[in-house]
Amino acid sequence: MDGSNFSGGSRPWDGQPVAGPSLRPVEFVSEGKKFLHLLARGAGLQFVTFGFYRFWLATDIRRHLWSHTLVDGENAEYTGTGRELLIGFLFALAILLPVYLAYFLIGIEAERMQAFASVPLGLFLVLFGYFAVYRARRYRLTRTIWRGVRFWMQGSGWKYAFLAFGWGILVVLSLGAAYPWRAAALERYKMRNTYYGDMQGTFDAKPGDFFRQGLAMWLGVVLVIVGIAGGAAMAATSFSGLKVLGTGLIVIGVIGLIALPFMYPYFKALEWRWWASGVNFGGTRLNCELQGGALLGIFLKYLAIVSLVTMVASTLILAIGAVVLETMGIDFEKFNPKTLNDFMSANSVIVIGGVVVGYIAVILAAGVVQNFFLQHQYWKLVTSSLTVIKPEAMEGVAAKGDLAHSLGEGLADGFDVAGF
Amino acid sequence: MQERLDYATFYDGKSNRRRSVELRLGPVLEIREGDKIVASWAWEWIRRADSPKAQLRLRCANGEDLARLDITDEDLARRIEARCTRLDVDDASGRSGTARIVGWSLAAAASIIGIGIWGVPYAADRIAPLVPHSAEARLGDMVDNQVKLIFGDKTCTGAAGQRAFDKLVGQLQTASEFRAPLRAAVLDSSVKNAIALPGGKVYLFRGLLNEAKSPDEVAGVLGHELGHVHHRDGMRRLLQTGGTSFLLGLLFGDVSGAGAIIVATRTLLEASYSREAETRADGFAIDTMHKLGRPAAPMAELLVRITGPQRGKGIDILASHPFSEDRLTRMKKIELEKPGEPILTDEEWKALKGICAGSIKTDDIGKGTPEGERKT
Repeated sequence: MDGSNFSGGSRPWDGQPVAGPSLRPVEFVSEGKKFLHLLARGAGLQFVTFGFYRFWLATDIRRHLWSHTLVDGENAEYTGTGRELLIGFLFALAILLPVYLAYFLIGIEAERMQAFASVPLGLFLVLFGYFAVYRARRYRLTRTIWRGVRFWMQGSGWKYAFLAFGWGILVVLSLGAAYPWRAAALERYKMRNTYYGDMQGTFDAKPGDFFRQGLAMWLGVVLVIVGIAGGAAMAATSFSGLKVLGTGLIVIGVIGLIALPFMYPYFKALEWRWWASGVNFGGTRLNCELQGGALLGIFLKYLAIVSLVTMVASTLILAIGAVVLETMGIDFEKFNPKTLNDFMSANSVIVIGGVVVGYIAVILAAGVVQNFFLQHQYWKLVTSSLTVIKPEAMEGVAAKGDLAHSLGEGLADGFDVAGF
Repeated sequence: MQERLDYATFYDGKSNRRRSVELRLGPVLEIREGDKIVASWAWEWIRRADSPKAQLRLRCANGEDLARLDITDEDLARRIEARCTRLDVDDASGRSGTARIVGWSLAAAASIIGIGIWGVPYAADRIAPLVPHSAEARLGDMVDNQVKLIFGDKTCTGAAGQRAFDKLVGQLQTASEFRAPLRAAVLDSSVKNAIALPGGKVYLFRGLLNEAKSPDEVAGVLGHELGHVHHRDGMRRLLQTGGTSFLLGLLFGDVSGAGAIIVATRTLLEASYSREAETRADGFAIDTMHKLGRPAAPMAELLVRITGPQRGKGIDILASHPFSEDRLTRMKKIELEKPGEPILTDEEWKALKGICAGSIKTDDIGKGTPEGERKT
């Protein structure tokens, strides 16, 4: 936020409205250090506010990411506020509380009759979750400004929910093969209802392309599952030859199962590339060159550092605890389990309080690492792999569209499906 | 006073057209495109908008909402910043935004915690007696399914033993003037425990029965569980944990309460009633036993035999039950006025001990139950 701190050097957009070239990279000009500082401050404030600061932290994170992303030389802006998110959360609470109470009461009745009778209720909640996802996207989009014009969105959250759910069933029935068609249908619905000012978006990527490029990965997953299931079936037979073969299949399958998570970033990168190729605003398009290896690198770094930080933070907190105990009269040099036990019995409130506080501190520290890698670094990788094709097609868009309520975001928060 | 001309980029908030403008820093900030003044912003209404640090982006708090002015010239930015008196004021929350968030959060947290400590138990105490028995019985059935999942679903029904058990329960019921519906059974599980579920279901586990040395010990334990049923502790507990976990969700963001509900039903099994409720149930057992003219202390002796002395083991505040030795002291203190007949004859007692003989199978599902989960 310190606009006074200029790095010098002229920028390509220096006030001159030149007709841009037909290809402009998306730039992400954030400094990781500043973002880390924002996260650390947010974690501290979450600690002292019993977690309530999470709404403002989410807002700060988005403002930072948006404002450091330059599209055609001009940065985007996020104009939502933490207060809006809090209000959305409270509204969601008012809606969800009766829903859950009813769910609970009906659940008791249903469970009594038959264990599976409560499944339809679960399905209803899944639909509600999709609804929330759609409405949350609408909230975030209407808070997104670029060149003095806001994005906005129409369409029905319930329609989207049914679409997502129906396609979800097909994906399950087809063992995942229908996934590209589902993604295309959902993106078409979302993008068709997405506007930048008075310019309507469209999505025209072909699901067949996605399927072809992902075919090898999909076959890998199916083979692993079929291999394990088939192996188990063979191993259960009484023929010794089949038994050996089945066991072998299981071993290979399990090795494949372990390898699957490493494939995920490659799949995700493919999905990003495919998605970007389909986005279209009046002729302005995106191209994405995200590579799975880079994504995998972020995930691995995250895992390594989050383990390290959790360990260090835990050790640190244990050390602090030990020092506190020592000042309270426990002598660790002449350690005696019985005195420690007596002490704990006598000061149980302090001991439990200390454990809770320490636990929350470790969680918050891990959260900082998670937000850094899975939000900032991920965002950085994705945005800087994007190129805008023909940005001049978006020139001269007129402002249109109203702000959407933050209720959707609150619901999404309630369902724990909230993302950016 | 005429200032020299400075250039910037302007978006008027009505279209995304990029305008190259000249700025005049006079009494107000004048934004000119050619000869035309496209906007003039009063200095006190100019606010900073988000931008990377290589540029200064401004908006006007009382003008077109989305109009933006981008300044990349460092010197110009400095001069403008110097004139804007309220550049970084957050109009929505005032200057001390963060302090206010912290203050209100603490107030909200204090109120939520206060409700959790005093409000929820108070409400649970008031609401529990109002819940119809039929509804409570339904809840009980649900918990019952979980009990059977954890401890196995074999009940012991040896004919002679069952007669003795029914007699024992019947006597307790009559003596305590217990009116709520009651269904008691012996569950074939090696866990040394007995539990009462909402809706009046009471289970005595084989493990506890095997450990017992006299009918009075078993009767006391059953009396204690009857006390829980009579006081509707199960319902109260359910309302309390449900309410408290919902409040915790409010603090930490899990509105779904899905977790809350699972926790609530689970705690009925895994944790236990409050120490107050246990003490009250003990009182109920003592009264009932004394009305039958039998001592209450054997029950506590049985407990001490099973748990050993408990004081100083683990963390006191987490212990849900009064310590066995304290219960024994309490029960010994109260003198029996006039001793009555034994509740069961020797033959009946033998039959009761052997109630599982026909159906004992090695189901050790519940063997691993940690000590802390004991309910008696």
